[in-house]
Amino acid sequence: METKNKSFISKMTESRNFGLILGLIVLLIMAKILTPSLYSFNSIVSMLQNNAVFGLLAIGEMMIILTGGIDISIGSTLSLTGVVCCRLMAENPNVPAIVWVLLALLIGAVCGAFNGLIVGYFKMVPMIATLGTMYIFRGFSFLFSGGQWWFPHQFTEGYQAFATLRILKIPAILWIVLIVFILAALFLGYTSKGRRIYAIGTNKESSKIAGIKEARVVFLAMLICGMLAGLAGMLYTANYATCSYSIGESYEMTAIAICILGGVSINGGRGKVDGVFIGFIMMSFITYFISLLPGLSVWSDAIQGAIIIAAVVLNIFTERSAAKRALKERGALI
Amino acid sequence: MFRKKRKERGHKMSDYILELKDVVKTFGGVTALGGVHFQLKKGEIHALMGENGAGKSTFIKVITGVHQPDSGLMLLEGEKVTPRSTEDSAKLGIAAIYQHVTAFPDLSVTENIFMGQEIKNKFGLYNWKLMNQRAKELIEPLSKNIDVNKPMSSLSVAQQQLVEIAKALSRDARILIMDEPTASLSKKECEELYQIAEHLRDEGVSIILITHRFEDMYRLATRVTVFRDSRYVGCWDVDKISNEELIKHMVGRELTAMYPEKTAKIGDVVFKVNDISKEGLFKNVSFDVRKGEILALTGLVGAGRTEVCQNLFGVLNPDSGYFELEGQKINIKNPGVALNAGIGLLPEDRQKQGLINELPIYQNVSSANMKKFVKGGALSEKDEIDTAIELCQKIQLKANDIAAPPSSLSGGNQQKVVFAKLLNRDLKVLILDEPTKGIDVGAKYSIYEIMNELASNGYAIIMVSSEMPEVLGMADRIVVMRNGRVATIMENKNITQEMILEYSLQSADGREN
Repeated sequence: METKNKSFISKMTESRNFGLILGLIVLLIMAKILTPSLYSFNSIVSMLQNNAVFGLLAIGEMMIILTGGIDISIGSTLSLTGVVCCRLMAENPNVPAIVWVLLALLIGAVCGAFNGLIVGYFKMVPMIATLGTMYIFRGFSFLFSGGQWWFPHQFTEGYQAFATLRILKIPAILWIVLIVFILAALFLGYTSKGRRIYAIGTNKESSKIAGIKEARVVFLAMLICGMLAGLAGMLYTANYATCSYSIGESYEMTAIAICILGGVSINGGRGKVDGVFIGFIMMSFITYFISLLPGLSVWSDAIQGAIIIAAVVLNIFTERSAAKRALKERGALI
Repeated sequence: MFRKKRKERGHKMSDYILELKDVVKTFGGVTALGGVHFQLKKGEIHALMGENGAGKSTFIKVITGVHQPDSGLMLLEGEKVTPRSTEDSAKLGIAAIYQHVTAFPDLSVTENIFMGQEIKNKFGLYNWKLMNQRAKELIEPLSKNIDVNKPMSSLSVAQQQLVEIAKALSRDARILIMDEPTASLSKKECEELYQIAEHLRDEGVSIILITHRFEDMYRLATRVTVFRDSRYVGCWDVDKISNEELIKHMVGRELTAMYPEKTAKIGDVVFKVNDISKEGLFKNVSFDVRKGEILALTGLVGAGRTEVCQNLFGVLNPDSGYFELEGQKINIKNPGVALNAGIGLLPEDRQKQGLINELPIYQNVSSANMKKFVKGGALSEKDEIDTAIELCQKIQLKANDIAAPPSSLSGGNQQKVVFAKLLNRDLKVLILDEPTKGIDVGAKYSIYEIMNELASNGYAIIMVSSEMPEVLGMADRIVVMRNGRVATIMENKNITQEMILEYSLQSADGREN
């Protein structure tokens, strides 16, 4: 084909990740000039460690967005599992910590399954359904916490190890995130369940004709998302060794933002795990970078918002140029 | 699940690979198929023809298991089968390529081919390498320049169809249904498709070809079956039946509905469409409509009628060409401009686009022109109701309660509410998109009366209609569209349905490109 003749810009618009990486490099250079201390290994690791839960949330959210839906309850799911795990852990310090991980996955699965039931099978609008469950899960979290806080001295070592134990100098939480990303890439790219998530997002009508059961696929996506949010809840509390019912507020929005930054189409059907991974790294850098600069930190939210808008513009731009290219290759219909 | 019972003894091999007898399918009270027959020989290309709404699409969906018939028999090589899903029919060796290509646009060609029958490795993961290779092997004999890694959306319609064919072949389809395969292909692409179809036939695949184009039928088919009004009309050898006879069989019916006498005087040109084009939708469309005139815009589904209307009303904007309203050039940027200039649209889908069922009738009527009822900054409900009553009387709307929602009315009366809405504004041009769709015969008459009265009052009316009797019964002039172009504009004198159909279908001189 004519790949050789293509301009730099058209190449960039074709490969969205390329653009993202370029943006990331620019950002890193800027950061280096402004805050030389940024690049110590430890500072980068701790930055990623503190943002790790967003990676888990974003992967879960991505699966739902791919089906053409959305889930804004994951911040509450995170809070609920965090609170339940912390309270039970504080009350039963002798139980091995792996139990709390499994419990977190279970609670997350129940939350996700409930979302999947009302969205997939009862056909509720995802935004509204998960708005409802967002309050419900948060409400349960508050009830279960009794308004109480948990502090570092109440956390067992085993519990904290799931986030902070260093393996090859990298904290466990980051290994977990990395494994989840790899599993998600395998699942979405190489299994029929995963490919069906794309299929119903790209064309529901064709999916029906192809014999794909939409409700089942939506349910599965929401179940996985819930489990990841549950895992994130446990890891979040393990990482910070603090917990209250108010943790994870508006985290779903950051997760959605990472997806958008990573090139996941909000209309469903389009988006890749590697894109979301880059989006996750980039979002982590941005928040860290902003927090480092004293004058900038008050602008933190506004800057993040602007970046989301810019990402959406980039998405539209790439989609349009892809559509144009396709039209050109097809030739006019008439 | 279907069950294929094999009769070991007394099993006669049938001459037909597929046979359907007395198939009936109704949706609610509407008969979509009223006892149709069909016989497909082995290795035959069999054309299925009929007007819009003759029941062809429903028929295909019955064969492919999308719909289950209420009664009737489906025999595959003489054995009774009852496919309950497309999966079932695929297992039986039946594949369909639908009119609107049913692909997954964001997914790759390979994935489209293997959707539902993926090749996996021993870990249960997709073997993309092998799938890509197999896809290439399937596609290559059909077309040399399709990259199987590319998303489906980057292919032309013709290429997408080839992918669908490859998909059918990958499932060892014995029976291939092609629903209007050439509808959006260029002449060259058509020829390529013909050759592929012939090649498949020679390989022993039996093909059902649904088409509106005689060219397709003559080129490929050996026999043709005609449906009309959801019923079976007959089956003929292609070389033993003429064009004219076929059209007669397809149209068949008499003008049964009554049409009121039109008394409106036709005046000067009010609205003129000059050479408008929109890429991919229509090209070089020109016509005008005069005061008091009813101009019908007709043609087959997909000919571009609806798209043209959307441009007239500003929903879409043409790439080139312009409009003139009362001699003034006008740029109809959006529906707001159209309405303010005096162009109104009665949308095709009354429920979704015409009415707000949550509001009472009078508010539906007033919603088209709220400003009129604002007095001193507040909406005057009394004015709203008074105007609505006046307008409803004018169009003889039968409603017990003007504060009831429109959903309490019959289809015909609902349509009248939409008319009343239009009359609430000062309009000059009315675009009526399928004004009697889904309205029973009796109520149609009163809609026709309203149309005539509006014409007498000096409105210029553009009526989009697929119903030929309605076009012939109501229009002063008829614009026939075909493939996004104006095929002809005729005075409605001594015109027959056959003539319109002939213009709607392929012309003798081949297709423009």
